[in-house]
Amino acid sequence: MIGERAAGSSGRPLWRRLRLVLIALGVALALTACADEHPLDTLTEAGPDAREINDLFFPVLGVAIVVFFLVQGAVIYLAVRYRVRRKAASEAAADPGGDDLYGDDEYPEQVHGNLRLELAWTIIPTILLAVISVFALISLVELNEVSAAEDDLRVTVVGQQWWWEFQYHLDGDTSTPPDIVTANELVIPVYQQVPLEITSRDVIHSFWIPRLNGKRDAVPGRTHPWVIEADETGRFLGQCTEFCGLSHAYMRMYAVVLTPAEWEEWVQGQVIDAAPLEEGDPGYEGQEVFLANCANCHVVNGVTDVNLDGVLDGTEDYAGANSTTSALVAGAAPNLTHVASRTTFAGSIFDLYEDRAERIPYLEVAERGDLNRGDLEAWIRNAPERKANDADGARGMTAFPGLTEGDIDALVEYLMTLR
Amino acid sequence: MTTTSEPPLQLTAGEQLVRPSTSLGVFSRPRGDTGWQSWLFTVDHKRIGIMYGAAALLFLVIGGIEALLIRLQLAVPGGNVLSEDAYNQVFTMHGVTMVFLVIMPMAAAFANYLLPLQIGARDVAFPRLNAFSLWAFLAGGIFLNTSWFLGGAPDGGWFGYAPNSGLVYSPSNGMDFYALGLQIAGIASLVSAINLITTVLNMRAPGMTLFRMPVLTWMLLVVQFLLLFAIPVITVALFLLSFDRLFDANFFNVAAGADPLLWQHLFWIFGHPEVYILILPAFGIMSEVIPVFSRKPIFGYPFMVFSGIAIGFMGWGVWAHHMFTSGMGPVSVAAFSLSTMFIAVPTGVKILNWLATMWGGRLRLNTAMLYSIGAVAMFTIGGLSGVTHAIAPADTQQTDTYYIVAHFHYVIFGGSLMGMLSGIYFWWPKMFGHKLDEKLGKIGFWVLLIGFNLTFGPMHILGLQGMSRRIHSYAADSGFNLWNMFATVGSFVIAVGVLLLFLNIGVSRRRARGAPPVGPDPWDARGLEWMTASPTPVHNFDRDITVTRQDEFWHRKWRIGTDGKVTRIARATDVAHDGSATDVHLPSPSYWPVVVALGLPLVAYGLIYNLWITGLGALLILGGLYGWVFEPPDDPEAHEHDDHHDADPSDDSGNGASGGGTSTNGEDGPDSDDGARQLAGAGAAAGPSAQAAEEQP
Repeated sequence: MIGERAAGSSGRPLWRRLRLVLIALGVALALTACADEHPLDTLTEAGPDAREINDLFFPVLGVAIVVFFLVQGAVIYLAVRYRVRRKAASEAAADPGGDDLYGDDEYPEQVHGNLRLELAWTIIPTILLAVISVFALISLVELNEVSAAEDDLRVTVVGQQWWWEFQYHLDGDTSTPPDIVTANELVIPVYQQVPLEITSRDVIHSFWIPRLNGKRDAVPGRTHPWVIEADETGRFLGQCTEFCGLSHAYMRMYAVVLTPAEWEEWVQGQVIDAAPLEEGDPGYEGQEVFLANCANCHVVNGVTDVNLDGVLDGTEDYAGANSTTSALVAGAAPNLTHVASRTTFAGSIFDLYEDRAERIPYLEVAERGDLNRGDLEAWIRNAPERKANDADGARGMTAFPGLTEGDIDALVEYLMTLR
Repeated sequence: MTTTSEPPLQLTAGEQLVRPSTSLGVFSRPRGDTGWQSWLFTVDHKRIGIMYGAAALLFLVIGGIEALLIRLQLAVPGGNVLSEDAYNQVFTMHGVTMVFLVIMPMAAAFANYLLPLQIGARDVAFPRLNAFSLWAFLAGGIFLNTSWFLGGAPDGGWFGYAPNSGLVYSPSNGMDFYALGLQIAGIASLVSAINLITTVLNMRAPGMTLFRMPVLTWMLLVVQFLLLFAIPVITVALFLLSFDRLFDANFFNVAAGADPLLWQHLFWIFGHPEVYILILPAFGIMSEVIPVFSRKPIFGYPFMVFSGIAIGFMGWGVWAHHMFTSGMGPVSVAAFSLSTMFIAVPTGVKILNWLATMWGGRLRLNTAMLYSIGAVAMFTIGGLSGVTHAIAPADTQQTDTYYIVAHFHYVIFGGSLMGMLSGIYFWWPKMFGHKLDEKLGKIGFWVLLIGFNLTFGPMHILGLQGMSRRIHSYAADSGFNLWNMFATVGSFVIAVGVLLLFLNIGVSRRRARGAPPVGPDPWDARGLEWMTASPTPVHNFDRDITVTRQDEFWHRKWRIGTDGKVTRIARATDVAHDGSATDVHLPSPSYWPVVVALGLPLVAYGLIYNLWITGLGALLILGGLYGWVFEPPDDPEAHEHDDHHDADPSDDSGNGASGGGTSTNGEDGPDSDDGARQLAGAGAAAGPSAQAAEEQP
């Protein structure tokens, strides 16, 4: 990687320093080289798009590193080779403030330039860059190609302060209401290119799963096409990368890549609505708490009785179950119909289950995982304390000082029924 | 065009109060050349330049403290030095401060101080406007920073992307301060650009043709043109933002049909030329320093000049490379990717020409030279990483990560700031009559260089490992811990390096007391600015200088024989003016630039808090302009001791190849407010247009 040489200019102390720095860098690199420890690493790709980008980036980086060594080598060589030492201190003292401390009349040959040389180092880099740009343009075209068929899975990605919504169109038709609406975890089948349509409900965000593809901004009022494809299964971390206000750092997401069979199973579990609980069912008290408080912003399909068509295609805000005006600037909060089937919450900054859920197969977390009760209850109790937001300005989840601990326990019990 | 053909009205001089007289058009002008008033009301380009520099160094400390806060916050995962809100304010103000209040005014300091000297002029074309630029810039900078104490600084990033910068998403007054403060600073830059362009085009010494001008003068000229065209664009954007926030306009309101990309285009059409506004002055400085300390002329002067001009033109065609991921469509992305790649060519030419200048030279590795060489080396790194994200597909991975943070710090810190530090060490003796301490300077350089690489080198790795920009915190399991700690340690090493500069200034200043003066030409340099005493006398040069070739001053000291050997023909002290002329007509100080500049932040405060204050500010501006217009061109009292120009108009040692000036035309003239014109007005190169260089408020 370029840049970490303490590349400098000149003089003997440089060599000693350079050696020390190199040793330190070598040790440090050895300590941090493991890719598993860098969930956002752009250089360990897990999909064809990220690979295409790196196949372009590495050769260019290689050229840059060669030029780097040539130029820095020349700088150091010239500075050492042509340096002139100062006069001894005694001589300098004899001429204080004099216009020269180096020896007065020594001037090298006065060269004003060399047209041929200068033309050469204008034209050669131009050709070099022209060659690079050909490959860059080819990649650019390839990355913009959508190979997925019209009726393949298509996902609308909506950024909001400070979480992501994913609307699944299983038949690829984004003009109809989505089949699945989920948050923060984009579940896709392996080896299948999934076209995305990225937009935002408030400010500009940027959707980025670095190990799968580059980023694409989510701009309110615009829909940007993008694709995502993985050729290994697993969970791949993402991060909002366009500054979006207070909790920009806390706006994360995962791409969860499953085998096609697992993915089909996941879809079957997600398309069904939640059943309203009857009195006496476990979690019923929690459902009552939910409807009285959370349902002002959150949707549970089949339970909160709201027509979502206008909300989902962006023509109107979600007004909440109990009010006529939107409780949020963005107009929507995460859909909680199957919240217990996810592994993270609150913009993927908290694990829903203890012990890092990736040790358990994704489809089994709700059954086998141990609930991360501490974070979940703290979040319900006072969300702004756990994740900066502007609840007073209707941006982000508000605190619920009115809820008793009993209410919160009941609510958690209810949420865990939403698998 | 002259302001009046009448001789100035007689008036009572010596009154120090800023008090508009009731009698029409009769105001006194401030006098005296010592004390705070002599600085506050000065129109001398040198004092203005020094004040620009001092302000830039002050803001460097403020912006540096902000940088240290950022690094402290990010030193360990989950840092809690700053709240999310405070962090957003600090990183926004760090960017705004460093770009608008440090690098730009530092470039303005060099431009103001050196540009008239390098072209052999007495002052800039419009001395009072020059003073106004300084005070307006300072007013904007102070206005911006008062937001810290008035409910919160701007928190939308220096780039202020809509709609996040709108009232809904940024409800504090911070972004109002941002929009209005930058408009004020923009006025300063715009006025200054017009002033300096006029100066270069009209006020060059006899024989100083465009292609005899030093490379620094050229680069500063290019920068002024960039400012002239770029500042209006950002002003439009900021104006729209102000109207959205203050008067509920809908320019960036998506619900009302706006496209937020409008802001991005406007911002970056300004923002990318701005990058060259930041770097080209440093390129100019390096092109002065490297030849002097290599003891060779600049290698390929025409290539250096034309590559600078080429950068100035191409700089307008690359703005959207800041927007590769914002959804412009593949054709735009391809076009801007190409143009961005090819702007590397003229930049590369410059780097190789500096190296070729060093080739075969006799290098004197002074602090100034070290900083210039360091800037070449560091800028190269920034340029190379720039090529890797000119490749648009790669940029989709790199943009908005720390890879970009590393890139532009190598360009702006490693290139611009190091180049300007080189300039500080180089021209310090010219400005203050004594050198800065070399030992402290060199230690400072190495500390700064190591700290710089320790801080920003690891950020390349962090970026490629996926660390986003502008995040106030990162998770412990993201794998960013080690290099962030490196960067934080490095940032404090940088702080030590900067402190060493201030220590050096203090130590050298104390040592210089009672020591013999440094002489006009301590480095055996090449430019005209060295052809007069150090520190520069208030009237710059005792006589007109007739220029016959590039590096005129050097050629008066040295002769290149037919065998290529260089022999001394004169000592600098024989050639240089000693500053003893006492009869030079100079523009008089003025109260009004300060008054008008003071009105600007009042207008801005009023827009935020109470329109009555705006009215007050507007009255101050109008009153100030009124006083400005009717101010007598000269202070008649001053003539007794500082009378008009009557020196030998043509310089004795020049051979007058391009028909040196014969007479100056400003004698006793009522239109001689801009005394500088007298010096250059008669030159063949300057031509008759110089007569038109009249200040028109």
